[in-house]
Amino acid sequence: MTTIIEAKALSKRYGSLVALDQVSFNVQSGRIVGLIGRNGAGKTTALKAILGLTPHTGSVSVFGLDPSRERNALMKDVCFIADTAVLPRWLRVAHAIDYVEGVHPRFQRARAEEFLSRTDIRLRSRVGELSKGMITQLHLALILAIDARLLVLDEPTIGLDLIYRRQFYDTLLNDYFDHERTILLTTHQVEEVENLLTDVLFVDRGHVVLDASVEAIAERYVQVNVASDQVDAARALQPFYERQIFGRATMLFENQPQAALSGLGELRTPGIADLFVAKMQPEGI
Amino acid sequence: MKSLQIQIKREFWEHRALWIAPLAITAVLLTGAALVGNPRLLHMAAGDDAPPLFEITLLGWAAPLYLTAIILATMYLLDCLYAERRDRSILFWKSLPVSDTRTVMVKLLVGLVLVPLGTFVLAALTSLLASAILVLRFSLAGHGAAPLWDSATWLRTQGLMLYTLVAALLWYAPYAAYLMLASAWARRWPSAWAIIPPLLLALFEYMIFGTHYVRQIAQRGFGELMALIFRGRGDRAANAANAANAGDAAGEAIANHVMSQYPEPSALFVSPQLWLGLAAAALMLVLAIRLRRYRDDS
Repeated sequence: MTTIIEAKALSKRYGSLVALDQVSFNVQSGRIVGLIGRNGAGKTTALKAILGLTPHTGSVSVFGLDPSRERNALMKDVCFIADTAVLPRWLRVAHAIDYVEGVHPRFQRARAEEFLSRTDIRLRSRVGELSKGMITQLHLALILAIDARLLVLDEPTIGLDLIYRRQFYDTLLNDYFDHERTILLTTHQVEEVENLLTDVLFVDRGHVVLDASVEAIAERYVQVNVASDQVDAARALQPFYERQIFGRATMLFENQPQAALSGLGELRTPGIADLFVAKMQPEGI
Repeated sequence: MKSLQIQIKREFWEHRALWIAPLAITAVLLTGAALVGNPRLLHMAAGDDAPPLFEITLLGWAAPLYLTAIILATMYLLDCLYAERRDRSILFWKSLPVSDTRTVMVKLLVGLVLVPLGTFVLAALTSLLASAILVLRFSLAGHGAAPLWDSATWLRTQGLMLYTLVAALLWYAPYAAYLMLASAWARRWPSAWAIIPPLLLALFEYMIFGTHYVRQIAQRGFGELMALIFRGRGDRAANAANAANAGDAAGEAIANHVMSQYPEPSALFVSPQLWLGLAAAALMLVLAIRLRRYRDDS
């Protein structure tokens, strides 16, 4: 496992708005990393810096290349679907395949065609005639047929219905991911990628608030459904988040030994969605 | 090579008018050649002191195609770097390993070179077919040998057209680059960006200094070019200056005159205007490439 993305002290401002403030993180090869944050947290800006699409301060290196200076070399190893990337309406499906095959040395036509054959998309159609879900399928077919080392997805399923979203992630896992490739994706729909990720990066208002592997999260965080007579004892151990559901307290603890918590109630590993909410609202509203 | 081909094709997929419109015009011209006009009148007009009918018909076939090409190329260059931002497909194109420099240069190649050269080929074919149709009609009408074909004249005219075309590409390259810069720059209305700034600049210059330098720099008359690339009677530099001063109408008269003279490009290649224009074109292209590369407004 090697480090393929190294971001150091990455900062970016849009006028008076600070999108990224001295952000540093690494991404290892063979991982599926979720860059998770609320709308406007700086996720897309971080991805754009990685892809060399936006000027910034601080340094980024991807496969040892500087994305802002060596973008063209980088695009041979990196594929991306940006949320704003829309396939042009005039493009025919068959032409889209011809084009990507023509310009990308690592594109495998057979793979794209095989993938498309499982959809209702016809090669003669223009993008403008396809539904939004089909356009995403087409885009995915083009991108997944490229043998890239890093795939970057920015809110790839936004605007899709549940069936397409599920299909999208299933395809990603079954047909693409092989533990040598790396996937970096942003989303604000945490529940959907919860079981997919190997690592999470929580971003909030331009800062990284959590950078951990899923295994590390299981070691570091414990969620306790506190028994009603143990609430005060549990609070004494300083949970960083507390939530009341139907009169029952659920608390999240960080770096507390299991032994200390086991008497308080039912213990479990918090889901990424729960952890995300807890980290974004530390006061526990 | 394969990637260049597909990139060129991509431009014609997107801008279908680039090939549909010229083919439509050709169809109309050929239909016209087959149906319109009376061979008998042509025969009567073909006396000894008649105007050179064949040359006139050749120009007649070519003119609509070249005019269309000028309009199409202008619209294409103005749209090519704007359309991908308007339809928000730019990040898709940018997700593929094609550099911004290459993208811009391919679009320039299409608008400045391939569309005009394609027009030349199409115009040559059209004149062949249309002449064949006319000759056939002539013979069928029983007028014997037609005054509407002359191989030597056809070849010479094609040669002169190609020569003029290549010179015009170099001469008008800064226009193409300027249109692309406007296209890369505009967030909306690239045509307004192409027209208004030079107009305002020229207007302010006139109001403040009472001079016309901007207009002189921006205006590249066709007559001026013709005077530079054909050896006419008298002093070519003077011809060029006359053409520039007298405006294009007079320029065209000179152009028509020098068309019958010998092609001779040396005056063009020593003309500082050509080289300044090409330098300006290069600079504007660099700016357009940088705009596409670094602007982040998605």
